[in-house]
Amino acid sequence: MPGWLTIAKWELLRSRLKFNILSVIMITLALMLVIMATYMAAQTGMSMNQKIYFVASSDPGLQPIVKFDQRFDYILIDNPTRGHNHEYPADMFIEDNNVYLRDTGKAGAAGDALESTFNTYREMVLTSYNDVNNTHPVWITVHNLQRPQNFQLAGSEQTVENLIREMDDRSSEEHNARERTGAETGAEGFVRPGSTSVSPEDISAMDSIGGKTFFERQRISTPSHFSAPLPFTAILYAFLFIFPIYFISQFYSTSLMDERSNRKGELVLAAPLRGIDIVVGKTVPYILITMIILIAITLYIVGIPSTYPDLTRIFLILASIFPVVLLFFALSFYSAIMSRSFKELTFASVFLSVLLSGYLFLPAMFANIHAISSISPITLIVRLIEGETVLTGTYLFSALPFYLVAISVYAFGTFIFREEDLFTQKNISEKITDSFELFLSKPYGSVFILSIIFIPFVYMAQLMLIVMLFNLPLEYSIILMILLSAMVEELVKSVGIYTLFKRKLAELRLKNVFKYSVLSGTGFFVGEKAITLLTLAPIAGSAFGSVMTMGSLLLLPLLLHIVSVLICSLVMYKKGTSYYLVAVVLATLVHSSYNIVILRGLVF
Amino acid sequence: MNISRDSFRMIRAVARKDIKELTKEKSFILAVIIQLFIASFSAFLIIGLASFYDPSMLGDVKIEGTSIALIATEEDELYMILQDSNIHTHLYMDYASAYTDFYDHKVDAIVVAPAGKAEGIELLNVDIYLPASEIKATIISLQLKEPLERYEQSVRDIRTQRLDGYSPVELNIVNSKSGTSSTYFEFIYVALIPLLMFTPAFISGGLIIDLITEEYESKTMDLLLASPASMMEIISGKILLATLIVPLQSFAWMLLLSMNRIHIHNTLHILFIVTLIALILVLISTLIATLFRERGVAQLLYSLILIFLFMLSYLFTNSPMNLVTRLSIESIGVLESALWTGTYMLFALLLYMLMTITVKNDPNKL
Repeated sequence: MPGWLTIAKWELLRSRLKFNILSVIMITLALMLVIMATYMAAQTGMSMNQKIYFVASSDPGLQPIVKFDQRFDYILIDNPTRGHNHEYPADMFIEDNNVYLRDTGKAGAAGDALESTFNTYREMVLTSYNDVNNTHPVWITVHNLQRPQNFQLAGSEQTVENLIREMDDRSSEEHNARERTGAETGAEGFVRPGSTSVSPEDISAMDSIGGKTFFERQRISTPSHFSAPLPFTAILYAFLFIFPIYFISQFYSTSLMDERSNRKGELVLAAPLRGIDIVVGKTVPYILITMIILIAITLYIVGIPSTYPDLTRIFLILASIFPVVLLFFALSFYSAIMSRSFKELTFASVFLSVLLSGYLFLPAMFANIHAISSISPITLIVRLIEGETVLTGTYLFSALPFYLVAISVYAFGTFIFREEDLFTQKNISEKITDSFELFLSKPYGSVFILSIIFIPFVYMAQLMLIVMLFNLPLEYSIILMILLSAMVEELVKSVGIYTLFKRKLAELRLKNVFKYSVLSGTGFFVGEKAITLLTLAPIAGSAFGSVMTMGSLLLLPLLLHIVSVLICSLVMYKKGTSYYLVAVVLATLVHSSYNIVILRGLVF
Repeated sequence: MNISRDSFRMIRAVARKDIKELTKEKSFILAVIIQLFIASFSAFLIIGLASFYDPSMLGDVKIEGTSIALIATEEDELYMILQDSNIHTHLYMDYASAYTDFYDHKVDAIVVAPAGKAEGIELLNVDIYLPASEIKATIISLQLKEPLERYEQSVRDIRTQRLDGYSPVELNIVNSKSGTSSTYFEFIYVALIPLLMFTPAFISGGLIIDLITEEYESKTMDLLLASPASMMEIISGKILLATLIVPLQSFAWMLLLSMNRIHIHNTLHILFIVTLIALILVLISTLIATLFRERGVAQLLYSLILIFLFMLSYLFTNSPMNLVTRLSIESIGVLESALWTGTYMLFALLLYMLMTITVKNDPNKL
């Protein structure tokens, strides 16, 4: 039996012992309470906006309409001046269908809310007539049209000829449709020229459309129900998929921390097993449990597959979520090894989870709007659930960085999975340096390889930056993006050299300074180009993309990467490794001024 | 008398020890960073989402760059309505020429006006062609909503006369202010402020579990108990610390929000409620932690109870979140708010008594 399997079995047995009967009962009870409360809350409007506006009215007839919305508190008075004698002033006074708002921001919002409430009420009354031609005479059908754009999605490049042919098809079809309806007008009158959808003929059909909008994109509606394509359902999916991962990774990191805090792990380390066996053995059970839960959730959303395409769809959804699981666990693993106490572990894991959730959630909210949203695997899941296809390029674009980062985090963590790092109170930066030191002292380890390994980290950090800076005006965000991404790049290029000199793996001589700078800079350049070829195609055409890839210039970037890391190493050579951060800042400034010159057309 | 003062000193000593550890380990600072991070996300949400909801928020941001193609004739009612609105509308006779301009980015959407008349009996179908996966699609949908609603209204004005006994309730807002949107207002006061106010309390609940279970798991609880401090005093010290850091953080949030010109009324009352809720959550966590001692189990149970309480507060008026919202916008009378604050105080007191009994009669006492 392989070593890791034994460890995995122990882990499963042990975690079962941790739950005594009382805690199992309590957790089941709490879970039932949560389900009950969630069900009850879902029956309400899911908003804690009860009684935030105060309406005073002299017309008792309005009460049922106002009370219909939980946001309003209502009082019946016969004189406007008396409304102000109440404990707190009313936001508006209604008399003879005239609404007088108070002169505050809140009253303005209250007026807006009142209008929408009356609209909703009107819709309700009209719907009760069951006469769609007279109550809901106008219908909107939304179509999506492709056209060439700044953000080109990988694999979807359509040739101009294709588009023109398509256009011709459309227009001739259109023409025919117009002629057809021209002949048919007056017969039934339901068909509209150019219309590709069937208008619902009675209210029940409209209801079914209303119900569908929750999980499907809205295609047809009346103007009052017409809303912009903001897929908030995406957040719901993200929650459904992320929560189990988050909970189980908590158990995972607690179990690791447990071994460390009680020095129980020493026994395992003393066993004739390699570090990697222990790490794999401790990880596999948790990943398996998570994947089982996620399979259940997927089946719940998509339904039991009956056809082959359904099956591939479920498989693709799981394939998209798997890298996320892996990265979540990798980060939990690393922070469990780094932290010195449970407090630190909690904070580290919460911080990293928030960061990662941001990376997953924010782009997914724009799943139907923007091509850049496909950096998040959650976006792919949303698309798959909505029945769209996901191309291999798009999958690689979002999943590959997750895989690479997760694997290297695991690798660096496994290096320091040894007694002197697990059971001592070393501080975090020391431990991180340790993991690099161990890598660099391996026969295959060099700053060249290290720089390449860091590429996915840089890539994810820069994509994260795009997400964070997306809401700033373009002129500021580009500058900030240049500065911050240069900083990230300089940091990863020089950290290997820093470790070499700090840990005395290499002598601090001028010859070495040059040698390692060239190696690290070249490594970074090679890795950068490789990942560009692999995945960056979907956003290469955009302004942000050009910051990351710097177009097609080849020799200059190579020189830049070497020069900037050389600056960093020279500062360390002159002043010593304690000046490392200053050195990085200096290199960043040089690097970003080069980028600004190259991209001046975009910036100014 | 003397005894209680002594025990208070013990409590303070334990709280001080924990506070020292917290600041030393920089983890408290990390907690603040997490919250700052959440804030930067909410800034994204405020600017991004609120402007999506309400394009008028975008104001000076260049959205006049969008224009649409309308396939209709000049007498079409929809054309006249769109002319009145602030959307650039270009009239086209047929789809093919509109599509050519759409393809060349001269127009960003195509709208096909219905052929029928308001006086007719058939349904009027408006076809809208939007650019796929472009942000402009969202902006145009938002811009089109209002004119389309007006179009619907004008058709309805004619057609609803055919309905039996339908008399529309017309409201006329005399001094309506343009540009004030309830969506934005409610996002700030109903979602953002309560969330920011209570996030420190949620974190504190998790923090106390770590503080207590850590003492058990690293066996330092024995050492602490060997000191003159009693079990009750050790726990109280931790509770004191975990509760008192909450209003400090919430206050910092209030300062930050007021710097963004978001005005909050009744700040002291809100801080008091936040402290109360923090105390309630911390007491619940203390109960869980002393009963289970296993960090993973305790944290899981705490998260579940937190979700339960969160869901519960959707169900009734003056839940803590709702109470904070109503206080912050002065939408609640003194009597009502005092009554509910009293209720939460009573609840905290009950929990405190329960916690005291549990700690004193700890079944697995060391």
